[in-house]
Amino acid sequence: MPDTQAAPTGGERPEANERLVCAILAEQVATLRDRMDASATFDLLWRTTALLSWLSGLMGDLTRHTTHINPVLDRERAEAVTEIAEIRRALDELAFQQAQRQDFARQLADCVVTALERMAVAEMPPGTHFSSADLAELYVSEDQRKLHEAVVKRLGA
Amino acid sequence: MPMILVLDDSATMVMSLSHILKGAGYEVETGMNGREGITKLTDGMKPSVILTDLNMPELDGIGFIKEARKIAATRFTPIIVLTTESGGRKRDEARAAGASGWLTKPAEPNQLLSVVKQLCPAR
Repeated sequence: MPDTQAAPTGGERPEANERLVCAILAEQVATLRDRMDASATFDLLWRTTALLSWLSGLMGDLTRHTTHINPVLDRERAEAVTEIAEIRRALDELAFQQAQRQDFARQLADCVVTALERMAVAEMPPGTHFSSADLAELYVSEDQRKLHEAVVKRLGA
Repeated sequence: MPMILVLDDSATMVMSLSHILKGAGYEVETGMNGREGITKLTDGMKPSVILTDLNMPELDGIGFIKEARKIAATRFTPIIVLTTESGGRKRDEARAAGASGWLTKPAEPNQLLSVVKQLCPAR
């Protein structure tokens, strides 16, 4: 079976190639992280909830300023106001949850970028750039630490 | 109108928290890290409640709480930590620094508002 592992190019040592790979990966993950921005989506969601609130208030104002309102229309207006309030609450909750998920994903990506950047540093002797303990120092959540411990245990490191 | 200072390095989180709090009747001021928060406080801002993330550049949440507690006007201001960190060690660290409460992301808007309203009812 042929060996598919790429050989170091240009006479460089394997460590130099690994550092290069780390630097490239760091840039790629950083680009991915920067593309995670969904501000426009959130902005649209919030504008929608604001518009719904405004419409709801407007319907109430129109009713108050109408002397003879059709009872059927008034009942439908009340049902619409209730539905608007429910949709608005759900949209607010969705936007808040999504914002938090995006923030968490961004922080995970930050952690990977920082780790790869440090592994790409050339000045330190091979094998001393970055340890799993150094990686653990970058974590921002208990879930990451639990995952870390599970991998360390699985690999018997 | 009671004012809340929100500190988070994620622009999306800052916008999201502002939207929820403004919708509940609070005035909101924001900062992208602990250093910005301290600058606002030393410039005379007197928030009713402070909401802060932990992992922020320049000055993190723990550092911010420690410095905010040294400022006379915010010595007793409620500071709520809103973070992805759920570990006991970090929580103890924040409490020792002077945090008043803790919410783990992902939190629901009602959870957040319930904690804020307990500390400072909207008018």
